[in-house]
Amino acid sequence: MQGVFAIALLALLVRAAQVQILQGARHAATARAQRTERKEIPARRGALLDRNGTPLALTRKTHHVNLARREMVHPDSVIRLLVRYLGVSRRQARREVADSFGYLHGPFNSLEVEPLQGVPGVHVSEPELQRHYSDPELARAVIGRPAEPGRPASGLERILDSLLTGRPGSSVVLHDRLGNDIESPIGPRALPVAGHTVFLTIDARAQEIAEWLLQDGVEQYEASGGDVVVLDPKTGEILAVASVDARGRSTADAFTSQFEPGSTAKLFLAAALMEHGLARETDSVWAEEGVFQLGGRVIHDEHPSGWLTLAGVIEQSSNIGIAKFAERLSAERQFGMLRDFGLGAPTGVEYPSESGGRLWKPHQWSGTTPASLAMGYEVAVTALQLAQAYGAIANDGVMLQPTLIREVRSPDGRTIYRHVPEPVRRVLTPEVARALRAMLHGVVYRGGTARNAALTSYELAGKTGTARRAGPGGYVPGAYYANFAALFPADDPQLVMVVKLVDPEGGYARLSAAPLTRAMVEQLLAARSGVLDRSRLAVAEAGEGSEAAIDAGTVPYVVEWPLSEIPDTLSPRRVPDVVGRPLRDAARRLHEAGLRVRVVGWGVVRSVEPRPGTTVEPGSLITVRASERR
Amino acid sequence: MTLWLLFVLAMLVWVVARQTSAVVAATELEELQRRRSLLEAERADLLRRIRRAESHAVLVPRAESLGLRMPVDSEIVHLPGPGGEGGR
Repeated sequence: MQGVFAIALLALLVRAAQVQILQGARHAATARAQRTERKEIPARRGALLDRNGTPLALTRKTHHVNLARREMVHPDSVIRLLVRYLGVSRRQARREVADSFGYLHGPFNSLEVEPLQGVPGVHVSEPELQRHYSDPELARAVIGRPAEPGRPASGLERILDSLLTGRPGSSVVLHDRLGNDIESPIGPRALPVAGHTVFLTIDARAQEIAEWLLQDGVEQYEASGGDVVVLDPKTGEILAVASVDARGRSTADAFTSQFEPGSTAKLFLAAALMEHGLARETDSVWAEEGVFQLGGRVIHDEHPSGWLTLAGVIEQSSNIGIAKFAERLSAERQFGMLRDFGLGAPTGVEYPSESGGRLWKPHQWSGTTPASLAMGYEVAVTALQLAQAYGAIANDGVMLQPTLIREVRSPDGRTIYRHVPEPVRRVLTPEVARALRAMLHGVVYRGGTARNAALTSYELAGKTGTARRAGPGGYVPGAYYANFAALFPADDPQLVMVVKLVDPEGGYARLSAAPLTRAMVEQLLAARSGVLDRSRLAVAEAGEGSEAAIDAGTVPYVVEWPLSEIPDTLSPRRVPDVVGRPLRDAARRLHEAGLRVRVVGWGVVRSVEPRPGTTVEPGSLITVRASERR
Repeated sequence: MTLWLLFVLAMLVWVVARQTSAVVAATELEELQRRRSLLEAERADLLRRIRRAESHAVLVPRAESLGLRMPVDSEIVHLPGPGGEGGR
């Protein structure tokens, strides 16, 4: 008996030694694995902000909700909670609660699921990081979306992915007896590193105005799509970019879709002629009264003219005139200037799949190509390329690379990149650029084709372009691209704008893209947007182009609401005496009198010109000089 | 022998206390993370609501229903700030 007991004890000791000593490490690891778990902590994706710090894309924690019918004490109250806090329909809530194991995918943010925490039968999932867009439709195509299963990344989310994606961390969690996870206080822990924050050049307010007006313009002019690009010519920063297709969906066509620009390209030929000293703005050609045969081709002008100067050719958008001027230029020089303006090459903007447009080399040209190029045919551009080229004219001849990225900050707030203007090349001398701007001013204010773009108090310069639209079998009858490239203000441009409409009603840019651009400038002036340096805006004297605007009923009137009487908009009136009044009050009183106001200085009004009491026409410009109280 | 026993007991108490305080700290950390998450969600929600409230899609129809319209450029006067500051 003692022997049996001794053998049993020995066996127990041997087994204990085997478990504890020989297999101890393995069993310890198994026990640890059952009690603890190493988890990856996902890194927060960096935010995308507009130029002023307005969030465009953020990453936030989201949850799903699981429901266990058997655990519920008051299913009806659970239904009420789900409807109230998660925003699900009563029908869906009932269906999921009735199920043994209901599930609401959501995703729901922490705020939404908070009231459900601790409710019997409601299980809120562990948080997951998810991309969130405060205004999902704002600049949607440009911002794009990160990759998801079955969907590749797009837009800036794709091109900036390596910057936005952080480094995941890891931690050890302990499982308690209820199965809850508690982070181990002693386990090894690697904190995740969030992605960089990227400030875009886009201004959210300007972007919204561009999108809103483009959509409005497409509907108003019954167009089948369009693009808008707003660029700062001094920095190359893209302040707003919007494109819509025929179904009203947001696209990135301003970067990816090319079109023949038509007459907006005439300015490039004028630039080449003046840059090479082959013509001055006062040189004239005979515009053949509207019909001209060149080779085997007949060229028409919409507005038949006789002699036209180079400036007149641009103002009247004469096809015949520009074709005749093109004869002064060699193919190499014409090609060289178009190439210098960036045509036929991608701009290098940070957007995937940007189109480079189309520009054939001289050895590929036919006999009529120089005239076609001068008129803006046989060359294709994107709206962004056109904006970049006009930006060179606005920037005294230096072309800058357009960009969408303004600043990049690391997760600890350090600035690791800040955009500085990147000159691509000098395209023109400052003198030629100035002369071209004067021509563009004439297009709007000297009876040119863009009178509909004329502003009353500020000056805009620009060029219209209407080109036939090509389809798979050649030019489509009655189909046009209408575009307008504008500089604002005309004397010292702060903005370059390109507005393009596809197949607008009536076809012509002067009837669609030009007034749409004007509306855009007005809204940018009125908005709290920071894209305009208002201290550098000069109020213009009422000129020829302004009269049309005044006649169209844009004489300023400030009336009390509700309206008690219809203001007299036609009779001459006296300039009210606003001397001694604060500037804001004076401006309001002059507006109430139906007069326009130009302000010089700040503070209390010291003098008014014309003098108070003088009889003036409605809409006259009154100069108010103010200075601070002494 | 008693001293050894007391020493071992004290060590055990110390270890347990340390573990307990660590677990409490971890729980507090979890709670703080939860609150931070809540606040972030609230911030995102408020930003979204602000953007929505001041968007053209909301403001323009309301303004038009009151008989208002967007101003043309001649109706806009930019008053310079002191010292000629205009700012963007």
